[in-house]
Amino acid sequence: MGEKKLSYEDVQVGDEAPVISHTLTRTDLVRYAGASGDFNPMHHDEVAAQKAGQPSVFGHGMFSMGLLGTALTDYVGIGNVTRYQVRFARQTWPDEVLSSKIVVVAKREEDGKKLVDMTVTLSNGDGEDKLVGEATAALP
Amino acid sequence: MVDDAASEEEVLKSIIGQPTGKSKVVVERGPVQHFADAVLSASPIYHDPGAAKQAGFDNIPAPPTWPFAMEFSGTFAEMQPADKPTGNPLATVLGPLMAKGGLILHGEEEFLYHRPVLVGDVLIGDGVISDVYQKDSKGRTMTFICSETKWTEESTGEPVVTARMNLIHRS
Repeated sequence: MGEKKLSYEDVQVGDEAPVISHTLTRTDLVRYAGASGDFNPMHHDEVAAQKAGQPSVFGHGMFSMGLLGTALTDYVGIGNVTRYQVRFARQTWPDEVLSSKIVVVAKREEDGKKLVDMTVTLSNGDGEDKLVGEATAALP
Repeated sequence: MVDDAASEEEVLKSIIGQPTGKSKVVVERGPVQHFADAVLSASPIYHDPGAAKQAGFDNIPAPPTWPFAMEFSGTFAEMQPADKPTGNPLATVLGPLMAKGGLILHGEEEFLYHRPVLVGDVLIGDGVISDVYQKDSKGRTMTFICSETKWTEESTGEPVVTARMNLIHRS
């Protein structure tokens, strides 16, 4: 059960997924707050964020993981990811350009499944990593 | 202050293995669609049952990070399991730490998928504190609290997705 986008045979170690680049807006954060139920004011209330010593509101870590997840499913197909893990390295800020980088690092067959391991990263325009992690997909 | 340090460590270790609670979640189409929009997916599979069927799904699937958010829209009070544990092991540890100040950060998140979560699923989540430990970093104490929630299909008991999280308290 999964979207057929990429076949195991067509993937080579070193391949990179198409990059998603997105300029983070406050509207993104409000929409994510409403969809996820995370109403921590640090993510939508500029006055509260500045009062707490932050320069502005900042992004939900899980918004970043969701965005990178979209880059991942755009590449391997929805429903094919078997593992997705990230470390939240830095906060994200409105107006930053967030770009995905997904690199195939291994191919292996296990229990009859054709698995592709990837490193996944989300970084800003200055090359600062926001998310660093790993993913695995089972491909047809 | 050796005794204080020892008792703090005891409090930390005391919550390892404690349940964080059971919950029952219903996966509905509207919230899944809004969540997919919120993570900026343009795929019709999250919106159109026909597109989902064509891609091989029995129903509209949810985006990969949906399990982190699904309790918000999908838990209904009258459906919750009666054997909810009393007290929150996270509060046992975070309460005293936050009383001394500091910040709580989401350190890591991991999902292990047995199959995609689909609209129409009724899932049971069962969580446990899997580890607690401290590290010193740049003169600050970092307390790591790791938890794991296993989501299974209510009707069959089959595993669907496991979510692992680690929260960090930075002094």
